[in-house]
Amino acid sequence: MARLLFAGEVLDSEEPSLILKASGYQILSFSSSQDAIAVVLEDPPDMLIIDKELPGCMDLLNAAKACLQKTNMPILLAVEAKGLSSLDWQEYSVDDVLVKPVDSENLFARIGLAQARMGRVFDNNPLSRLPGNTSILQAIQSTIELEESYGVCYVDIDNFKPYNDRYGFSQGDDVILMVARIIVNVMEEVARHKSFVGHVGGDDFLFIVPEEMIDETCKRVLAHFEVVRNLFLTEEDVEAGCYVEKDRQGRETKFGLLSLSIAVIPTGNHEFSHSAEVSNAASQLKHFVKQKEGSNYVIDRRRSSKS
Amino acid sequence: MEKDNKAEFRRALREVKNLPTLPGIVAKLTRMADDPDTTTEQMGKVISKDHILAAKLLKLVNSAFYGFPQKISSLSSAIILLGFNVIKSLIISASIFELMESSDVELWEHSLGTAVAASILAKRLGIKDPEEVSTAGLIHDIGKVAVKMELPEQYDEILNTVEMKQISMAEAERLVLGLDHAEVGGWLAKGWFLPKKLVEPIACHHLPKKSKEEPLATAILHFSDVLIRGLGYGHGADIWVPPLSKVAWEELGLSAADLDEVLEEVEENLWDVKGFSLDIQAELENKSA
Repeated sequence: MARLLFAGEVLDSEEPSLILKASGYQILSFSSSQDAIAVVLEDPPDMLIIDKELPGCMDLLNAAKACLQKTNMPILLAVEAKGLSSLDWQEYSVDDVLVKPVDSENLFARIGLAQARMGRVFDNNPLSRLPGNTSILQAIQSTIELEESYGVCYVDIDNFKPYNDRYGFSQGDDVILMVARIIVNVMEEVARHKSFVGHVGGDDFLFIVPEEMIDETCKRVLAHFEVVRNLFLTEEDVEAGCYVEKDRQGRETKFGLLSLSIAVIPTGNHEFSHSAEVSNAASQLKHFVKQKEGSNYVIDRRRSSKS
Repeated sequence: MEKDNKAEFRRALREVKNLPTLPGIVAKLTRMADDPDTTTEQMGKVISKDHILAAKLLKLVNSAFYGFPQKISSLSSAIILLGFNVIKSLIISASIFELMESSDVELWEHSLGTAVAASILAKRLGIKDPEEVSTAGLIHDIGKVAVKMELPEQYDEILNTVEMKQISMAEAERLVLGLDHAEVGGWLAKGWFLPKKLVEPIACHHLPKKSKEEPLATAILHFSDVLIRGLGYGHGADIWVPPLSKVAWEELGLSAADLDEVLEEVEENLWDVKGFSLDIQAELENKSA
């Protein structure tokens, strides 16, 4: 049963919500943004319908956008017809608008449409909800066409395969989710609107930041990983500093604990014309980074605009 | 009859949703969240000084919805995983005491003091993750806030019993409710999917001998609680110092000389706590001014 959260005075009569309830929707209704935010945080609904005039409307929108798990939640904004065309959609990053007064027929259609559109959501990774390969290649392509220099950063979890064998794939998924969250949160804090994060697949991620932010973002991602990592390892393994597992040939081999490697390709000297060239350069550099012990990042300085 | 009551109290306490905290701390965090130069770490440091917000943060990161149930016991890890925007939303949705009493401030100071003492002891005793024990110290009395908010009539009765019979709050709670705030805090923590390493010390902090899996962390928390109370630091309506458990004391294995050093270090650190408390009160005055 889909849960719809109404915040503020979206509806001026009882009728539409009765019809929705009768059609199997669960309705949550709040007159304060504070209460609505608490629900979005703790038990998020499937869809959010917000009155633009609700005090704290922006805070509620930000709360809904804040978390990876909620990126698929459609947001509908209820507005007055007057001034509709001058609304700034960059500011109100919503999925659809409802013009007040909202009649049942219209509301019903918009909610159904938003749900259907959500089902069509392209290539997001089902685990992390981050954009997948189609979006990643597009992001790289548009980055190399820009005048300013960016760093295309490939992140890879070292010793992930033996971790999965030892702890099981469900714990392995938790580690992937942890890395996704760490990267997204660092981007949000350091690079906000100037960054992109994608999930290549498995234990591979990619982020893009302006060149001057490469060092700070890489250092933070690695430092945050160090803080959180041990919560995903047993005390014995942390103490031993490694684990012994069978390798692909079935021989007992010592593996290091989880660490991160980041290979950074700067786009500054404009030698790339296609996104595939960037990923080729990255995979060469990745072999080099992974040979180093522990967590590291390496920037391909030959390509830096400031070399 | 008493059993029925207990089940009813339990039900009421289970439904506890938005525990309130001090308006000063929420005002400070709101101001920080609006400042574009504030970092997540800076906000984390302030949240780590509030037992209610710290408990909410751990509840959130350990909820099935964020994908790490029963894993995250450290506040710094929780902050890294939740990120700035989620923390900001947490602050906006935080509720505050509508009628703040001096006992609310005292309980907050007591919680923070216990966290400080637990951290000092954990480091001294070579515990691998001292932050974890300190966090258990910070949120150990969360059950008291839940009882006060959800069962106000019984809470008044408990306060009367404490005064009339000259017994500790935990004993009075057992008389009135058939359960005490440690037990309540324990199952709240469990219901919020907090790691066992936090749940057991909280649940057993008045009866450390009941602790099976985390006896040392429980002993540290128990001793820190008694110590802070003994120093006369923030009692929060619980006016009688609870007795020190022999089991816990033996578990700690501290000598008299050790104790002197611990005391000195704790008292030194309590000055910082007091300073922060004044800072928070000033925050509120600024806001209303």
